[in-house]
Amino acid sequence: MSHRALSVLILTLAAQPVAAGAQSTSYELKGKIYTKWMYKNDASRGCLSLSNPFWSDNIGGSNGACSELDLTLTGRVSKWVTAGARIQSRWGALWQDWWENGDVRWDFPNNTPFYENTSGESLGMNHAQYMKLRSTWIRAALPIPTVRWVHLGSSDLGMFNEWTVGKSRYIDRDNGSGVFVEGAFGDALRYNVGAIALPKLFIGPRWSTGIKGSDPLASFWGSDWAYALKLEATPVDGLTVRAIASYVHDWEADRNDPDLTGPSDKTRQTDRAVDLKTRFQAVNATLEGKYNPPAYDKLTISGMTAFAFNNVNRDYATNAVTSDQGFSPVVYLLDANGQPKAAVGAAAKVDIELDDPFDIGLSPKFEYFNIGSTYNVIFGARREADVLLTEGFLTTGFMKGGQLPTLNVANEFVDFDEPWYETVIGWHGGTALLDYVLGGFNASTEYTLIGYNTNGQNRDIDNQYPSFLYTDGFTDTQAYTADFDYANVYDRGRDPRSVYKRNQNRLTHLVAVNGELLVPGVSDLVLKLKLKWILDQDNRLKGNPNDNYAGNLWLGFIGAQYQFTDEFKSSLGYEFQYWDEARRSGSQETGFYDYFTKKHSVRLGLGYTFGGLAITYLLEYFHKDQDRTRPGSSDQVWNVWRSKATAEVSW
Amino acid sequence: MNRLSTRTQALLPLMLLGACASGGSKASGAAGGGVVTLEDPAGDDNGPGNYTYPTDKVYEPGSFDLRKLEIEDKGDTVEFRLTYQTKINDPWDSKAWGGNGFSVQMAFIHIDTDHVAGSGVQDGLPGTNVRFAADEAWDRVVLLSPQGPTRVNSEIEQKASQWKDRIIVPKLTRASGRTLIAVVQKAQLGGDPKPSWGYQVLSQSNEGFPDKTDLLTRKVNEFEGQHRFGGGTDYDNDPQVLDIFAGKAKGGPDEAELQHQALSKYTKDAQAPKPEDLAVVPLIYLGQ
Repeated sequence: MSHRALSVLILTLAAQPVAAGAQSTSYELKGKIYTKWMYKNDASRGCLSLSNPFWSDNIGGSNGACSELDLTLTGRVSKWVTAGARIQSRWGALWQDWWENGDVRWDFPNNTPFYENTSGESLGMNHAQYMKLRSTWIRAALPIPTVRWVHLGSSDLGMFNEWTVGKSRYIDRDNGSGVFVEGAFGDALRYNVGAIALPKLFIGPRWSTGIKGSDPLASFWGSDWAYALKLEATPVDGLTVRAIASYVHDWEADRNDPDLTGPSDKTRQTDRAVDLKTRFQAVNATLEGKYNPPAYDKLTISGMTAFAFNNVNRDYATNAVTSDQGFSPVVYLLDANGQPKAAVGAAAKVDIELDDPFDIGLSPKFEYFNIGSTYNVIFGARREADVLLTEGFLTTGFMKGGQLPTLNVANEFVDFDEPWYETVIGWHGGTALLDYVLGGFNASTEYTLIGYNTNGQNRDIDNQYPSFLYTDGFTDTQAYTADFDYANVYDRGRDPRSVYKRNQNRLTHLVAVNGELLVPGVSDLVLKLKLKWILDQDNRLKGNPNDNYAGNLWLGFIGAQYQFTDEFKSSLGYEFQYWDEARRSGSQETGFYDYFTKKHSVRLGLGYTFGGLAITYLLEYFHKDQDRTRPGSSDQVWNVWRSKATAEVSW
Repeated sequence: MNRLSTRTQALLPLMLLGACASGGSKASGAAGGGVVTLEDPAGDDNGPGNYTYPTDKVYEPGSFDLRKLEIEDKGDTVEFRLTYQTKINDPWDSKAWGGNGFSVQMAFIHIDTDHVAGSGVQDGLPGTNVRFAADEAWDRVVLLSPQGPTRVNSEIEQKASQWKDRIIVPKLTRASGRTLIAVVQKAQLGGDPKPSWGYQVLSQSNEGFPDKTDLLTRKVNEFEGQHRFGGGTDYDNDPQVLDIFAGKAKGGPDEAELQHQALSKYTKDAQAPKPEDLAVVPLIYLGQ
């Protein structure tokens, strides 16, 4: 359907009378306008703090104003069948970019991509604000035994879990499509089964299912699917058991098939049928249980075991560990004879929670976790989920962090105020957490001990295990930028995906205390406090005491929230971090050198909501001072001001 | 620093907090006034008896199953603690959108301060599709929502402005384990809680993209959907309530049946329902 036809359709539908108060109307049209203003003391242009880190796509940047229209149409075909679609304008055009229409700009005869000139047509379709079909789906309650629903089309894949097929990140929430059936065998067993078209990007070796430009050994991605099954039962009162399994299969055309290597000729055994070869397979499965004893409902015990199998066919997948400086979402294992083998891994965790057992507001929680060194889920959640109780390395007073069991963590296409995620592959340890609530006062304190199943000596990070190149030091998520710092030229510490090192003997202690208080006698004022300490030790190569890393991170945060009126709220916070990192970076050959980092951050937040219009404003300043003793590495300073304002209406 | 001393150092805050917690609780018990407690049986989170949860996995079994309401006088404030059958999670990361640390639950705590016919509001709030008896009309309602206060106030202004002075958005709302906690200024309630006050809670689900006439409530339809309850009708005649307190609110199994009876009494074929077509929800008067 052309854009014009689609526009006419929407306008026509919008003009139809809607019966007030009834849910039986045959359709529903919802709209949203979202506008964002970003400003920062740098020279980047755009409305997205961190854009595509690999292919610079000219929408990332920190100075500009952008708007987006989102329309969702939901129709009732009958009482058994509903259908829906969502169209959304392409993000990326600045308000300043008046005339962009996506045409090829006049740059004869050079045709320089995205060459900017006075034609006003220079930046490409992604600045033309075109409406894109983002999702379509049909959902039907069919009279088939055991079946409750059949869902055809777009889905956020939220029915499985982070360890198998993860819920799509928000920006991808309708990009995944498949065929799904959910049903139940009476009250005994509930099930979900689905076949999901694999995205051509991010699933598989070199983050693709066979794109020629990404992997010269592969070029076929139209037949790649994942399959998933969830079974859930409540065998006894208080006990829920859930089993989930997923299977990912990336096919390639057999490049030696005679139909692809020459003319049609029976003597060459051509038959107008092309055989397929497997490029990548993955199996992930979990078995979970959760028990609330009916006789003592304050207690919750839950446990999970997980299994992973990842197999790469080296004939059809380039070894990214070797070719891409250790950046790879999969490992490429070799057996004792140097032959490729599948990576098999396991994981487990147990949680015990007591909900205020003494009726004094104190609730303890305990978690044991053990994630195998070769556990990996390629199609799991990439962000916006959190599988462990600990707040982990990345959480600060201003920013939340999460933990995920995949090398496929995705921290791009986000703004500076959004959470970050780190991989937990290889983590083995436990968390004890105490929550205390007393009226308007709430506090929690956490202690976590992390050992690492990835500890070892002389690990092959040249050909088998991806290191993500940057393996050392606390990660500074605040200093990430979308420009050439993707190559970590500003030395911002460990990549959040990095779990493998050549030599590692690591142990981490983490302590965090959080407090929140509704100030008595001062209506609408809430104070917040956070203290955090991490001791991260890695003795690296055994027998060499001169390479022992010892990183101490101290963090202190204080903030306040105040609600001036029913419509207007504000927040103000200050955070100080000091990182003392002995022998943080270097090599066995050159030695290791100390780093000292100080950071001061201040944030002001304002929010105003009235009549369905929501406006927010965030202003941040941070000063970072990094002293490096490494010869040839100069000390660095950051003085960064940046802001983000949004306006949003839905109807 | 050796490893043993490191561990000891790490555990110190835990010990300190435990000590603080014990002391704090004793102080609160001495300072606080009486506690009103309503209880509700498990497994009756099915409205009139046949409602089903949406199919998305965030709606875990027991997520809307009320078990207990505690109301405690704390001096200048009153604390409401609403306990559910299962742990309250935050699958939609409410802090990222200015929320209160939980995602799917929502509850309306109705209070009748005078128990006088003709005083108070008989209508349910928009999106609940219930009403109240003349002598049990509510005077205040405390709104427990994961949405931040400015969003809630904006919705009230748009959809229930006639009752704006009666709808209380707590000064603080948070989740702890299986319990939602709300702190309300006593002045917002109109004074000290009295034994004669009546209470009722409507258990609902937070809908961030509500219908234009609904106050952040999630629809109940004939068939459940990914984010729709099932078992009702496709019109606004069915009570869009998963659980309430009933009877004497002692948590007895007969109270589930009383709930089912109350919520079943609506006109199922009323496509444009009048108030008399809606189910009447009783209030609980423990002091009488």
